[in-house]
Amino acid sequence: MTIRLAPFLAMAVAATMSASLVFAATKPIPRTADGKPDLSGVWQSGGVSLYGEPGIAPPPAGPPPVNPPPKREPLPYQSWAETKSKTLTASDDPTLACLLPGIPRITSMPMPFEIVQTPKEVVIAYESYHAFRIIPFNDKLQHPNDLVPTWMGDSAARWDGDTLVVDVTGFNDKTWISGTGSFHSEALHVVERFQLNSDDTITYTATVTDPKVLTKPWITGALLRRPPNTRVEEYECIENNQDAPHMQVKK
Amino acid sequence: MQMPKLRRWLPAFAGLIFAAVPVFAHHSFSAEYESKEVTLTGVITKVEWTNPHIYFYVDVKDASGNVANWAVEGYPPNTLKRTGFTRDDLKVGDTVTITAYPAKDSTTRVAGREITFPGGGKKFAGPAAASRP
Repeated sequence: MTIRLAPFLAMAVAATMSASLVFAATKPIPRTADGKPDLSGVWQSGGVSLYGEPGIAPPPAGPPPVNPPPKREPLPYQSWAETKSKTLTASDDPTLACLLPGIPRITSMPMPFEIVQTPKEVVIAYESYHAFRIIPFNDKLQHPNDLVPTWMGDSAARWDGDTLVVDVTGFNDKTWISGTGSFHSEALHVVERFQLNSDDTITYTATVTDPKVLTKPWITGALLRRPPNTRVEEYECIENNQDAPHMQVKK
Repeated sequence: MQMPKLRRWLPAFAGLIFAAVPVFAHHSFSAEYESKEVTLTGVITKVEWTNPHIYFYVDVKDASGNVANWAVEGYPPNTLKRTGFTRDDLKVGDTVTITAYPAKDSTTRVAGREITFPGGGKKFAGPAAASRP
């Protein structure tokens, strides 16, 4: 009896969790006083706290997203870079040591982030790794001329119609672009696009160029949703990080 | 009855998000743990409700009566809280049963999956092997 009931219970729990992700697809997008799309709020791209347990909870009920992000292809590495990438393992992951994940990788972390929007700048406060970005609006997407390479780079924003475009440069070569071994050079340049949709999602895309290691631009993306009843909280990654030493012993 | 519908949904949906959304934010789970599930029953001796992952420790008695203290790793505290698993669920002195995945480098450390509490309630402390990148 218990065994036969289990799937139905799991479905009921999952349905409850996903119910708040259902939105009317025809609702106009919220706008700020100056008429721009209002991206303010808490967003998240994935993780069990948003989508439930894989294989147990169904995906959000209701219609498919109105504007799904593009499917991504493998990274178009130059041949020497492909070879180098394959020598890197999960034990080499910079985030294993609680270091900042860089962009666009931070968007894929299974934790929420909050977008704060003013007419002058956009601030993104990420739960993961205590990362934050202060992104001034600047129609020419100019960056300071005194940049020293950093983990999260320097971001500048402008509006392209209703799409927020963020240009990011000034990266160090210590982060990974996406999955295991996806290294890059200091020539990394990322252009992100945030498009607020009528179903209260954001379609996020990032166009990644790095002429020193890639043969052509590479595009990745994510669908951002508002995680229900969620605020951005503390994540002090280094506090009890036992994984790094455990992962060093077996390669 | 609705399951076939849901199954059709899943592959289409999976393509919409990052292909390798990490289940553990800061490290690769499969590099550190085996995928074969084990079951432990023991008494909680210590709880570390900490980032980047929680740990709790249980005294587990083997068939010969020898007791070993096992470390159980779980999701980050915020993830657990958001899925309804609170700090108060783990009480020192309680006997719990844990399904888990053994560490590759230790005989007494596991990644916790499902915890069965003294009252019979069950909650997930960490991801399933099948979902781990």
